[in-house]
Amino acid sequence: MKKRYTIAIAGNPNSGKTTLFNNITGARQQVGNYPGVTVDKKEGVREHNGIMINFVDLPGTYSLTAYSLEEVVARNFILNEKPDLIIDVVDTSNLERNLYLYTQLIELGVPIVLAFNMADMAKERGLELDLPRLSALLGAPIVETVGNKSLGTKELLDAALELINSKNPPVRPDILFGRHIEDSITAVIKQLEPHLPGADARKKRWIAVKLLENDQEIIARFDHSKVLEVVEEQQKHIQFMLGDTPEMLIADHRYGFIAGAYHETMRSTIESRRTNSDRIDEIVLHRVWGLPIFLGLMYLLFWLTFTVGTPPMEWLDALFGWIGSTVSRLWDPQVLPAMRSLVTRGIIAGVGGVLVFVPNIILLFAAISLLEDSGYMARTAFIMDNLMHRIGLHGKSFIPLLTGFGCTVPAIMATRTLESRRDRLTTMMILPLISCGARLPIYALIIPAFFPPLWRAPILWAIYLTGILLAILLARILRNTLLKGDTTPFVMELPPYRMPTFKTFLLHTWEKAWLYIKKAGTVILGVSVLLWILTNYPQTEPDPSLPPAEQQAAMLANTVAGKIGHAMEPAIKPLGFDWRLGTAMIGAFAAKEVFVAQLGIVFAAGDVDEDTLPLREKLAAAYSPLQGICIMLFMLIATPCMATVAITGRESKSWGWAFLQLGGLTAMAYVLTLIVYQVGKLFL
Amino acid sequence: MASNNSLSASLENYLETIYLLIEENKVARSKDIADRLKINRSSVTGGLQALRSRGLINYEPYEFVTLTEEGRQIAANVLHRHNILKEFFVEVLSIDEEEADETACRMEHGISKNIINRLMDFANYFKTCPNAGVQWHEHVGYNCKPNLKDLRCCAKCMAQTSEGACCGLPIDRSMPQSCTTLEKLKPGEKGIIESISGSSAIKRRIRDMGVTNGALIEVVRVAPMGNPIEVKVKGYYLSLRKDEAADIVVEPQIIEKNAENSEPSLSGNGSACGTMPGVRDKRCTI
Repeated sequence: MKKRYTIAIAGNPNSGKTTLFNNITGARQQVGNYPGVTVDKKEGVREHNGIMINFVDLPGTYSLTAYSLEEVVARNFILNEKPDLIIDVVDTSNLERNLYLYTQLIELGVPIVLAFNMADMAKERGLELDLPRLSALLGAPIVETVGNKSLGTKELLDAALELINSKNPPVRPDILFGRHIEDSITAVIKQLEPHLPGADARKKRWIAVKLLENDQEIIARFDHSKVLEVVEEQQKHIQFMLGDTPEMLIADHRYGFIAGAYHETMRSTIESRRTNSDRIDEIVLHRVWGLPIFLGLMYLLFWLTFTVGTPPMEWLDALFGWIGSTVSRLWDPQVLPAMRSLVTRGIIAGVGGVLVFVPNIILLFAAISLLEDSGYMARTAFIMDNLMHRIGLHGKSFIPLLTGFGCTVPAIMATRTLESRRDRLTTMMILPLISCGARLPIYALIIPAFFPPLWRAPILWAIYLTGILLAILLARILRNTLLKGDTTPFVMELPPYRMPTFKTFLLHTWEKAWLYIKKAGTVILGVSVLLWILTNYPQTEPDPSLPPAEQQAAMLANTVAGKIGHAMEPAIKPLGFDWRLGTAMIGAFAAKEVFVAQLGIVFAAGDVDEDTLPLREKLAAAYSPLQGICIMLFMLIATPCMATVAITGRESKSWGWAFLQLGGLTAMAYVLTLIVYQVGKLFL
Repeated sequence: MASNNSLSASLENYLETIYLLIEENKVARSKDIADRLKINRSSVTGGLQALRSRGLINYEPYEFVTLTEEGRQIAANVLHRHNILKEFFVEVLSIDEEEADETACRMEHGISKNIINRLMDFANYFKTCPNAGVQWHEHVGYNCKPNLKDLRCCAKCMAQTSEGACCGLPIDRSMPQSCTTLEKLKPGEKGIIESISGSSAIKRRIRDMGVTNGALIEVVRVAPMGNPIEVKVKGYYLSLRKDEAADIVVEPQIIEKNAENSEPSLSGNGSACGTMPGVRDKRCTI
């Protein structure tokens, strides 16, 4: 069998790590998750000089502590999977901070090659480095690369293979932390001995350092043991002697080591001059112009998603309509009639109803990828943080919430950019309150049915606003109850603007769109079948004396869904709803816009869409304007669609949160609608 | 650890001296030990033999003395007790250094670990309680004197307690003017980072991103809605909220154009912000 190596790619966020990874592996990569966490795990394969190499793109991190999920994931991958080599991607124009990660990587004992990425940018800024000398000081081969021009990739792989097979690898520096801390490390190691039989000195030292650094993950391994007592004592001692925590002092020593190596080998030819990036920021982050430019860009994003995306969406809609009708034409109604109905009305309509949004999704994600890859995304968080912080959220929550006006599903996926789980969960939980595109048909049906033209726009505006206000309220409630805790530090890098590369752009867009498509093929397919059964069984013989539309209504009333609607009536009566609305709401769980179609069936209005006049007239005859408001309010708040529940479960890694979202929002809808209806009745 | 108690004070002093000599000169010779301890060389030989018989040092006549692992531990412990006692005398009791050293030399051998730990906790508490330094004044007794590093917290403390009293003690309102916190700088102004306080999550995050003591930091701009701010450090850009910036104590750097406003004390001699002094090691004699 041929030898196969594994190489992990590590580096700071914004160091061009992913671009380099794409250059190395091309399209031969797959995205998955690290076990148990929603951190993307990208893997790819490349053959170099006849040797197959697996590449794993570790999450971008600044450090290897246990404070963030990404750091723990990266660290555990290196410790447990023991890759043959690590390529540490470093932004050459920002060496001091980028090499900080290197000082922690070497403690893990895996051979490392340093990729000095964006070497061209550093030269442009007038930075000259004595690379052979720096390489000797750091104890690792250094290869210069330019990710977005695909330069240096081959040399990097050569260096990597050479180091893996090297008999005498370069000697790495021992970074010492000063006498007091070293004494404490020795004392802790002594306590560790019995716990770590057979561990080598390097590993013991690493664990001792992590314990002194208060690394919660490592500390948990020694719970209640004498080791922790000694650690605490030594921490106090260091705090006392040196006036700061071991964690901070160790960081200082690491930075000190890098600063020394850097200044010894660096020669700056020009005083750092204003870069293009600074000039762009002067405009887009301007005190006065910054906000209008930002709002304009967001408008552009929506225009792109919903205006440009609409024609292809209509083509797809027509395509699925054509497939459905072709199948029903070719499929003899006498052969397996139930199956025929399941395929055409259940599966094709259900899955098709979700897949028609693929063009919008692709466009939205393409726009978001551009914002992300260019560096503007960090600026949106910078601009919006003041507002979001007041709600108890992070500036980065803004983009997901904005996306939520389009579709909640990609919006929940977009919460991945949030580092803190608390921020992420809060954002996910409130997202269904942002009126998505699928709720517009409901409002468009109801509002003209009950209100004169002059009132229509303000009521539509009010219902959107109600959603936003409820979302803010819910965020505050969650942050004070279930998701209580310190707000996470906002500290965030504003990376220099970069021209996104076409390859990376395509890959990023495709990755996200594919997740959406995959979901339509699995969860939504299943629930579509279930809902079809609920709305079709048990079947009753149509009464030939009635007109066809009335026949359909009578048949629906007898199905499980119809019966549930009837059974629900006592419960929803206080809200002003009857069994027909109840039945339609069950359908709305598949997708919000199904509500309209279901109402059409129960009101025996024949084939309807939101523009159908007879249905509106029938609704106006059956309900009061107050009931109309209540319908919209309930549909705004209650039961996020099944796709939302499914994606929440997947992204939060917990069905508990998904069901809480489902149950909590439905309960909230019930209570609020009850109040509005009962109080409203007194006045109207 | 067990043999710790049975060791005489003078033997402990030998160990301590050897430890420090190795630290300073890489090697310890019996001559140096004799000089340090101000005793004659023959007594040193006796002491060293006693230590060797207990397995605490490696020693042959006319060779360098090295510590065994156990000896090193004991020496480090003695030094630790010495330093804590001294720090306690100097910082809490306001005793001058020499007197503190002498007394510490005598007390370091008999004091129990428990008491040492309590003294250490007390001194730590004293220095930070509640974020204001407390000092001994000749005629006043103990007096609350804000340590510049913790000014912000002290102001909070003052606001919470009754007028002008911090932890029930009178406040010395005179404070060095040269330091401020990062959020007070205006766009375009620069400062040298003196210290970072705040919760450990923020502290760690900030440090991981390259904001370290002694680094030059510049406020670049304020976000359109007034918060957060953008700063430049080590050639790259970070954004942070104002309340996070308030945890970063900086010494403003005077920009040339308004140099006429500068006071002599502002020229940036580094120690103006009063960082906590480390304890110097001092040798004990027998």
